[in-house]
Amino acid sequence: MLDRRSFLNSMGVSVCGTSLYGLPPFSAYTLNEAMAAAKGDGERAIPTFCGMCGPSSGCGIYAFVKNGRFIRVSGMKECPTNQGAICAKGQAAPQWVYSPARLKTPLKRIGAKGEGKFQEITWNEAIGIIAEKLKEQKKKFGPESLAMLSPARRSYSDYMQRFLIVHGSPNYGHSGICAMQRGFAFSYTLGGQPMCDYQGSDVLIIWGKQPFYSGPAQSGARNYIAAKKRGAKIIAIKPSIEPDSGMADIWVPLRPGTDAALALSMLNVIIKEDLIDASFVEKYCYGYDKLREHIQKYSPEWGEKVTGVPAKQIQEVARIYATAKGAGIDLGNGVEHAPSANDAIRAVAILMAVTGNLNRTGGGGNRLGGGMGPGGGAGSTKSVNLKERYTQEMVDKLVGPEFPKVFQPFLEGTSSAYYRILDSVLTEKPYPIRTVIAPGTQPTVSTRGTKRVIEALRKLDFYVVVDVTRTADMNYADIVLPTATVYESDHPFELMGGSIMARSRVIDPLGSYKSIFEFFLDLGVAMGYGEDFWHGSMTACMNDLLSPLNLTIDQVRENPLGKSLQASGGAPGGPGPGSGGGGRGNFESIFQAKSSRLDGAPYLPQGKVAIYNTTFEKEGYNPLPEWREPPESVTGTPDLAKKYPLTLSDYHTSKCYTASWQRNVPYLREVQPYPMLHIHPDAAAARGIKNDDWIVVESPHGWMKVRAELYPGIRPDTVMILHGWWQGCNELGLEDLPIGDGGANVNNLYSVDPDKAFDPLITAMSSQTLVEVRKA
Amino acid sequence: MSDEQFGFLYVKENCLQCHGCEVACKSWRNIELDVKWRHVKNIWIGTYPNVICQSVSVSCMHCVEPACVDACPQKAIRKHPEDGIVVVDRETCIGCKACGQACPFGVPQYGKDNKMQKCDMCESERNSDMVDPPCVMTCPTQALLLSKMDVARKRDAEKSVKALVDAA
Repeated sequence: MLDRRSFLNSMGVSVCGTSLYGLPPFSAYTLNEAMAAAKGDGERAIPTFCGMCGPSSGCGIYAFVKNGRFIRVSGMKECPTNQGAICAKGQAAPQWVYSPARLKTPLKRIGAKGEGKFQEITWNEAIGIIAEKLKEQKKKFGPESLAMLSPARRSYSDYMQRFLIVHGSPNYGHSGICAMQRGFAFSYTLGGQPMCDYQGSDVLIIWGKQPFYSGPAQSGARNYIAAKKRGAKIIAIKPSIEPDSGMADIWVPLRPGTDAALALSMLNVIIKEDLIDASFVEKYCYGYDKLREHIQKYSPEWGEKVTGVPAKQIQEVARIYATAKGAGIDLGNGVEHAPSANDAIRAVAILMAVTGNLNRTGGGGNRLGGGMGPGGGAGSTKSVNLKERYTQEMVDKLVGPEFPKVFQPFLEGTSSAYYRILDSVLTEKPYPIRTVIAPGTQPTVSTRGTKRVIEALRKLDFYVVVDVTRTADMNYADIVLPTATVYESDHPFELMGGSIMARSRVIDPLGSYKSIFEFFLDLGVAMGYGEDFWHGSMTACMNDLLSPLNLTIDQVRENPLGKSLQASGGAPGGPGPGSGGGGRGNFESIFQAKSSRLDGAPYLPQGKVAIYNTTFEKEGYNPLPEWREPPESVTGTPDLAKKYPLTLSDYHTSKCYTASWQRNVPYLREVQPYPMLHIHPDAAAARGIKNDDWIVVESPHGWMKVRAELYPGIRPDTVMILHGWWQGCNELGLEDLPIGDGGANVNNLYSVDPDKAFDPLITAMSSQTLVEVRKA
Repeated sequence: MSDEQFGFLYVKENCLQCHGCEVACKSWRNIELDVKWRHVKNIWIGTYPNVICQSVSVSCMHCVEPACVDACPQKAIRKHPEDGIVVVDRETCIGCKACGQACPFGVPQYGKDNKMQKCDMCESERNSDMVDPPCVMTCPTQALLLSKMDVARKRDAEKSVKALVDAA
């Protein structure tokens, strides 16, 4: 008994072992241990991947099954992604699978839109109804009348794109606020995407990023802890403190949405004090002289006025960054939610370049390389998305381009902005979308402007919801299709860390449904696109995708813990098309990278860092990064700030939920039971608000009723709340919250003014407004 | 009582506040709702703008000198002499909550049956292949460890968690 513990004892449980992250080895289960533990309890342990969050690569798990019931989860020690660790979401998976909020049977609406009256139908009937509608609309309105919504990259995003491309529609509806915004500004400034060197940098700037909550069991969080232990100076740039920024050496508490102003001010300091890497600028940058003139107006004093960060701190951080031996910036999703997002990201890219931190490979800083788009990662399986079939005609038909048409397709393919797709239903400009398919996304809580979104869903010809549990807006759907959780599926396979692993089915589906992947295959066949959809066979699909590796899915399954790809002759993962070569610091090649556009024009026409961006200038956009105010702000709309003195923004990651999902899972909901507004104790006291009080938060556009969490780690002029609240939790007696005003849906409070709430180049809808708060 | 006892070690510098340990405990021990054998809490230190936060993950500390054992009028709580694990006999417990008053860590929980329940280091679930308990196994950063340690060291571990619990 307790052999492993004795081992730990012998180590003296010091926290400086010899493992990868400077931490003692994990005590998690290996396959044999999991099997043994299961056997003792009359269970089975099934190796597979977690599916409670995000895209691939997932975390390896052992799913324990007893009498046909999935009961618990442990991490898989052998899996390189998580090395045996599993977060709260992963541990709570069985409750999600067996939740009373699960959809069990396909539904057809029989009542009025929004009424919630449905008739149960079969899977095949549902597929048939959708196919008939799409055929009819394709004939009458053209294939572009179909749009699909995808707020973020998902494991099935490529299947959505494949369907759209085969159908002939360019309208893949990406949120306009996630990853691709950084990808765009970085690619058109640096030629590729910079990756922060956590191992080598002596200064790390964690900017608008939450490295713990998104994937706590994966390497990001561990890299952060390891960097901290090794003595790297950590600077956190965020409006409020969370456990990651709570450990930082310096906290830079900027006002939400002012990242561009802060970056411009930092550039001002660095250029004024001549802290640039002159030889790198000379050799590799284009247009520095123009920036030197342009940047003069963005003094630290100006920066203080806009960002709320003291001028002295802006100077301090700029100097630390510029003079470090190697300083890395890990720029997160937080900067992608403001009308100045493209300029914020460009300015950060220029900071990396002019200080020479971009060039400090091996010794820290940022290095350029692989893309975030499809095609990244290990292995070289066949791509699902059929990008090679894009045509100019398709690009021209985009209903609400996420990026201007001239820059399309971008890394993921052609895309319209999620919100603009819904808006087209109301404006009918340039034409109305007729069918929206929403797989695993909830437009009324996932994008801004809820009132307009509901109007659009009421007017929309045909709305299809495909999800695991009840959704916020399924009552507007014509067809609702339940799908299997990953625990009920045996596909697709996962690529991670140089190996490939098949997904194992843990239990049979609990209702009459199939997987999200099978949805696209079945719909493809019903549409007459069987040739392109493997005639509906998931096995044929996987074998086809695996063919470049000379593997079949059955061969992959022979290795339940994953098969190494080295021996199979699979080339290491290339970056996404056009996202820049994989070399570290090989600027000659990266700066020549061809763009994802149909004409393949290089991202950097001069073959140098585009400080002065002639590509943007040619299309009528600012060649140099500038500051643009959010639709409402203390400095942009000071009169409005008299009535609404606090700045509001929202969080998109949380400890226990994936976006607006999983509030129905009791073990997770117990951790965060209520929608809590983070408000500084001084701001609360001035309004007679105490901890846990129910409060009303009102902006010029709407209001919500939530609870107050007195939060010492937030700017006193700013309040923040987690987005995505609506779903109740039956087991805990918590009811659904209203989607509109008076609920806890922050999206009601933001402007969707087409002239003010969007970045002109990259969509980046604003998540900032002004509010007043009072006791309810 | 043995000089060497099992105890949890909590390394606050490693904790992500991900609540993985808390939920692993609930899931593996099938714990009823509104009851937690392990809690993760946030701790604020300082005032704006010089403010930081820390975390603490606390369950029964299986104290060297458990206050709950002395407080229980039914003698329902025992400390194993061989390994120091503190367990409650739920047959004998009358739900008077004296242990809840006495425990400096706020550990004892009372569910639907009103009887005390708490962490038993998974002793009751252990089989011969048992490695660490699920709360320790699931931690991404090894902020939570279980180890056999001498009494002096265990007292130190109790003291440091007590300071964090008091600050939370």
